[in-house]
Formats: sequence, C-alpha cells, structure tokens
Amino acid sequence: MGVRLARAAVVAIALAGVLGGSIAHATTAEDRFRAANALARHADYPKAIAAYDELARSGFESAALYWNWAQAAAARGATGEALWALLRARELDPGDRAVRRDIERLREGANLDRAEIAPEPLAALARWTRRFRLDLVAVVLMAASLAAHAWLRWRRWAPRLANLTWATLVLGLLAAVVPAVGSLARPTGAVVRRGAALLDAASPTAEALGTLREGEVVPILETSGTYVRVEDSSGARGWALTDDVRSLTAAPGRRERAGY
Amino acid sequence: MSAHRPSSTRRLPRLALAAGVAVTLVCAVACPRAEAAIRSEVDATRIGLEDQLQLTITVDGASAPNQVPPPPLGNLRVVGGPSVSTQVSLVNGSLSQSRSWTYWLQPAAAGQAEVGAVRVRVGSNEETAPAIAIEVVAGSVKPRRPARRAMDPFAQDPLDELFGRPRGRVAEPRVFVEARPSRTSLYVGEPLLLTYSIYTQASVSGLEFGNAPQFGGFWVEDLTPPPNGSGEPATVEGIGYRRFTVMLKLLFPTKAGRLTIPPISVRLAMSRQSLFDAGFVAERSTKPITVEVKPIPDTPGFSGAVGRFKTSSAVDRPNLALGEAATLRFKVEGSGNLKWIDRAPDVSVTGAKVYPPQTKSDLKTQPTGIVGSRTWEFVVVPQTAGMLEIPALRFSYFDPAAGRILESETAPLPLRVEGGTPGAMIPAPPAGTGLARPTGGPLALRADLEARSPGALSLPGGMVGLLAGACLLLHAGLWGAGPLARRFAGARSPAGRAGPRRDVRGVLRDLERVGRDGMSKEKAAGLIERTIHGVFGSLDDAEDERGRAVRQLLEDVQLVRYAPQLGEYSERLRELAARAGEVVRKWA
Repeated sequence: MGVRLARAAVVAIALAGVLGGSIAHATTAEDRFRAANALARHADYPKAIAAYDELARSGFESAALYWNWAQAAAARGATGEALWALLRARELDPGDRAVRRDIERLREGANLDRAEIAPEPLAALARWTRRFRLDLVAVVLMAASLAAHAWLRWRRWAPRLANLTWATLVLGLLAAVVPAVGSLARPTGAVVRRGAALLDAASPTAEALGTLREGEVVPILETSGTYVRVEDSSGARGWALTDDVRSLTAAPGRRERAGY
Repeated sequence: MSAHRPSSTRRLPRLALAAGVAVTLVCAVACPRAEAAIRSEVDATRIGLEDQLQLTITVDGASAPNQVPPPPLGNLRVVGGPSVSTQVSLVNGSLSQSRSWTYWLQPAAAGQAEVGAVRVRVGSNEETAPAIAIEVVAGSVKPRRPARRAMDPFAQDPLDELFGRPRGRVAEPRVFVEARPSRTSLYVGEPLLLTYSIYTQASVSGLEFGNAPQFGGFWVEDLTPPPNGSGEPATVEGIGYRRFTVMLKLLFPTKAGRLTIPPISVRLAMSRQSLFDAGFVAERSTKPITVEVKPIPDTPGFSGAVGRFKTSSAVDRPNLALGEAATLRFKVEGSGNLKWIDRAPDVSVTGAKVYPPQTKSDLKTQPTGIVGSRTWEFVVVPQTAGMLEIPALRFSYFDPAAGRILESETAPLPLRVEGGTPGAMIPAPPAGTGLARPTGGPLALRADLEARSPGALSLPGGMVGLLAGACLLLHAGLWGAGPLARRFAGARSPAGRAGPRRDVRGVLRDLERVGRDGMSKEKAAGLIERTIHGVFGSLDDAEDERGRAVRQLLEDVQLVRYAPQLGEYSERLRELAARAGEVVRKWA
C-alpha cells in the first residue's frame, strides 16, 4: 500500500512538472512575441524579425506571428520577405481576410501577376480544405455513414436510415476528395531576396543561370542541403539557396518534404 | 633544277620546250588557227607523298574565258593557286593569245591519283583536256628546286657557260605580314586598333589565314578594311613595298596586366612575275604583340564606362493627368565602350511608380572606338496629383585622357500631375523602397500570438484519402456481413427447422401488395401464407412464442383463404397483411 502511494505521488509530481513546464513555455512564447512586437514598434525591424523567426523555429507558428513579421519586413523595405510571411500566414489561416488583402496589396506593389504567386492550383484546394475543415467534415460524415450502416445491419429495417447511410457516405467521399487532391500539390517557396541567383548546381562554386524575381512563388522540385531546386515562371529550372527561397509549406528551420 | 643533274639531262626539257614553242609558232602561222584549244599539263606524273604537283591549264585563242573551273581531283588537294597569266605575241603580223591557270596540288596518300578532265565552254563549243594519271609513292621523288623557277627554261643561263661567268639572277620578291597596334599601353575598356597588313614587292593572288586569330583578354569588334586598290607605297628598312591592309580589329582589354596578342600565320599565293615564272606560295607570320593594360578605379556606383560621354534626360509629357504615364528618357552618348554598359541608373521619383527601363542603342564601331548613344526609357506612373520632380540622374565614367572617374549629371525635370486632390489620391511610396505602405503611421501589429491556428490541427490530405478508402471497405464488409450471418445462422439451426429463406425487405414489399390490383381473397391469402412460410419455414414443432404467433397467423390466413365467398374480405386481408408484417419485423 505504501509503495503504491509513493508511486502515485511520483507520477503526480511528474505530471505537474510537465504541465507546469508547458504552461510556462507557452507564457514565455507569448512574452517573446510581445517583446518582438515592441521591437517592431520601436522600428528595430531586424531584431524584431529575428525574434519572430526564433519563435517560428520553436514551433510557435501562427497567422498573427507571420502577420507581424510581414509588417516589420515591409517597413524594412523587404517586399519579398513580407510577401512570403503573409503567404505563410495564409497557409496557416486561409480564412484571414486581412492577410488576403495585404497579399494583394504587396503583389500589386511588386508588379507581380496573380499567377506568379500561385503557381500550384492544387495548393488552393489544400487551403480550401483548411479553411472549411473539409478533412474533419469528411471524417465525420464517413463515420456517420458507417454507424448508420451498422445500425441498419444489426438492428431492424428502417428505410430512412438506409437513405441516411447513402447520403452521408456520398457526402463524406465528396468532402474527402478535396483534401486528397490538394495533398498532391507540389511544395512551394517564395523568393525573399532581390536578385536571388538561380544556380546551375547545388554548390558554392555553381554558376548563376539568371536571377529570380523577388516575391515570386516557385515550386520546389528538390532539396539538397541548403539548396532547393526550383522552377520559375518562365520555366527555367535551377538551384537556389534556402535563404533566398523560403518554403511556404514547411515551417522555418524544417526540411521541405521530398520533391517530385 | 638540281645542281647535280647531268647537263644533257638538264638541257632536254629546255630543248623540248623550245621545239614545242617553234612548232607552235609554225602552226600558228601556217595552219588556220582554231577558235580555242585547251591543254592540261603537270610537271610530273610520278611524285612522292611529300612532293607538290604543279598543274597548268592553258587555253589558247583570242576567245579564252576569264575563268576555268578546276578539274576534279582524285587523291589530290589544292594547296595553292590558281595564279593566272596571259601571254600575247605578235608573229609575222599575226596576233596570238593564251591564258594559263596554275594550281599547286598535294597528294593525300600513296597510290594512284588523277587530275580529271578539264572542260571549258568556249563560245558554243566545249573544249576538253583529257585526264592525267599520277602515281604517288612514299617520300619525295621530285628534285628539290626553287619553286619560282619551276618552268623557267633559263634557270641555268646557257650564256653562263658560253661566257664562263654567271649572270645575275632575278631577286625573289620580298613579302611579309605585319600586325600593328595603335598603342601598346592603355586602360581597361579603352579601344586598341589592330591593323594587319601585307608588305609585298609582287602581286598577291590569294591569301589564307593559317590559324584563326586569338585575342584572349580582349573584347573584339570587327572593322571593315579600307579598299586597297593597288596598295600604298611603304618603305621598310630602306626597301620599297606596296602595303595592303587585309584585316582591322578593334580590341577592348577586359582585364589589367600584360596581355599578349599571339602571332597569326598567313599563306600567300604569289603571282608569276614573268612568262617563265610559275609563282609560289609563301607562308608568313606576324610577330607577337605585348600590350600593357592599366586598371581603372573600381568605386561604388561606377558604371564601367571608359571614354568620353555626355548625358541628357527628357520626359515626353511634362504635364499629364493622374492615371496617365510619362516616359523618361536618359541618354548617354559619346565614344568609348558604351556597348558594355547595361546597368540603368537608379531612378526614384517621390509620388510616382517607376517601372524597369527598356534600353535602346544606336552604336557604330569606328577605328577610334564605339561611337553613338544608349538610351534607357523609364515609364513613370504618378501616384498622386501635384508637382513632382524627376531627380537629377548621374552617370559616372572613366576618362582615359584625364586618368580619373568623371561624373555627368542631368538637370532635374518637373512633372506636373493634374486631377484629384493634390497628394491625396494615392499615397506616395517612400523613396528607395519598393513597397508602398498605405500609411506612414505605426505598424498594425497583432497583440496575441494565437499559436493554435485553425489550420494547425488539420489532417493530412493523404490521411483523409486513406480514411475514405477504409470507410468504403468497412461499408463493403457490412454489406457482406448480413448474408454471411444468415447463412451462418441457417447452418446452426436444428434439424427439421428450416431457417429464414428470404430477406425482410422483400417480404415486407410482398405483404404491401396484398389486396391491391383486384387480387382475389384466395390469391391474397396464398401470398401471405407463402410469404410467412418463406420467412420462417416450418415451425410446427416450435413451442415458443414465435412459433405460436406464426401458427396462429397462418391459421387465420387459411381460414380466410378457404372460407366461402360470402362477403367483402379486403379489410380482413389488409389486417392479416399488417399482422404478418408485424410478425416478420418482430421475429424474422
């Protein structure tokens, strides 16, 4: 009995430590976010951006974080970086109207065509999925159809239940098609530096084939170390530094998923 | 001819040639002269692989053509010629004329070679000279001799032997090529004129560059040489020549240091000097040229232009309405390496959007450099009404004469924009940044991190697809589970008691048909009875509640079925069908 009590006490203390640490960590993230905002308000944009970057790399990503990052980058004159931050915010919260509005404003300011910031049409389906939670809708509908079908089989005959089964199944499958197709979109990245070089190889000694347009969104075909292989809107393919082309589909500091 | 050759052997070709000339002259006088005659002759029919063969095609007659196509060659290639000579003679008051084309041929391999038949159209007739077979052996079999005396029957003057002293020979004409730079010390980007000339004492009938000129470290522009005509007189080391300019290059050094222009080799086909001279092929080379290239300062903002330039700017519409565009033209003109300069000046107009420029060039390459102008055209779209100003534009260049970087600056240009409230239509972007913020106020920052974004918990699309597939599989399993369960239940039922044989939905549909479509009472009762039997089978031995209920129902149905038709039974039949439905729902 005494041993059991001691074990329970140890488990309770450990749980309390973990929960307390998480809460403290979250509090620290909020504090760091506010500190970064203060830096931005005092026009210390490089430090503010560095603080936002650190937060994102720590896993505390949110549309608000990238929104503020974009404001600081825009004030600093880094159009490409601001556009990237807003596009990343849109990835996290596709329903944010302010983000969409600022993306349009920056796009026009950078003389970019709509197609130049949306090279992957399937990516829009993925955003629709996230915006309208079509993934959860599909799962709920399919689960309901299964439950109705099971009820129908093992209980009594009910014509209305059969219709419900069919309807939920069809709707669930339709809802599941959108995220499934959206997941086929290639990963993309935004050019954040003016005059970013398009290289002929993923090597420090590579020669420049040309330059990428600041703010342009390009599909990421392959990754190799600190280089990504991209294709610009003119169809030219080459390698670029990950510092010049930042991923829109992966958080900062995380490796892009394998290319196609 | 070789000096070791016996004198009798040496005299033989001369005597043969003299006899031939005599016969020809006699024939020319005595015989009626033909319109034209063609001959194809070689200086040997057996040569070594290292020897050269001389082919002479001669057309006699006043109507000799100006050109004769070279004959087809087998195992031979042309290494020189043709040199053309014309002979005119007046004998006994009769004028005769002949024209000769001489080629120098080199065998390609040991074995048989052939000079093909020569066909020349003279007037309406085609004259033909037959083909000549040549034997080619390894090494060299032809005696070495000075080429220019190949056909000279007087190479060894018979008068030398007669008078016991040698007569003075005709001196070999001098010829050489020269590459002459306009300067040997210059700055990077400064033009250097390189002139290739031939100095010769004899006429040159052909020229061929042995190797392509290489100009490492230079950017090269070609210039057209001036028409030479008969050349210009020149004296080199006290010897007179005619100088012909054959190639002009304008070189721009691209790097500092000591650069070398390597020599080039030239093959020159020299025309024959006299009736008995066959001409010769001379190979000459230029001397290498070393050039000292001085660096130019590399300061921030320097355009890289070297030369003398001046700049100007203009705007096509100094007055325009808001929403319209103006074109700003920035022009650089002068002499230098303007072709190199691509970078446009930075143009930033407060209150207007400036689009990337288009470049137009009007440049000509001249011996003094590249002369002309380059113009950058910017489209300027005002973003606000009022008085705007296009700032002064600067262009820096290196002046080699001054030895330093100079700067040319245009005057600021006013731009009057009408329409709307001044400064209120579209906020002006801050100069120097590509981003136009709607306001210059504080940043619109969000206060809370909201780290749990709505999209953070989304399922991956592939996972959703897998779940959909699993859902379909489970549905299929459920559909298959019913019949399997019934079959399983039937297999476990006691002997003599048949399990249900029909599915419930079909049974209920059959029971709904009872009493419809004018069905007779016997037929309707029979339908109910068959349906109940089809569902429950035989329940004669069943003493449970289900068995009793089914048996009671069947008895009532049979009562109606076999009762005499004394009245209306439709209401009774609907009641029995309803009871049957309840029994089926409850017990099936």
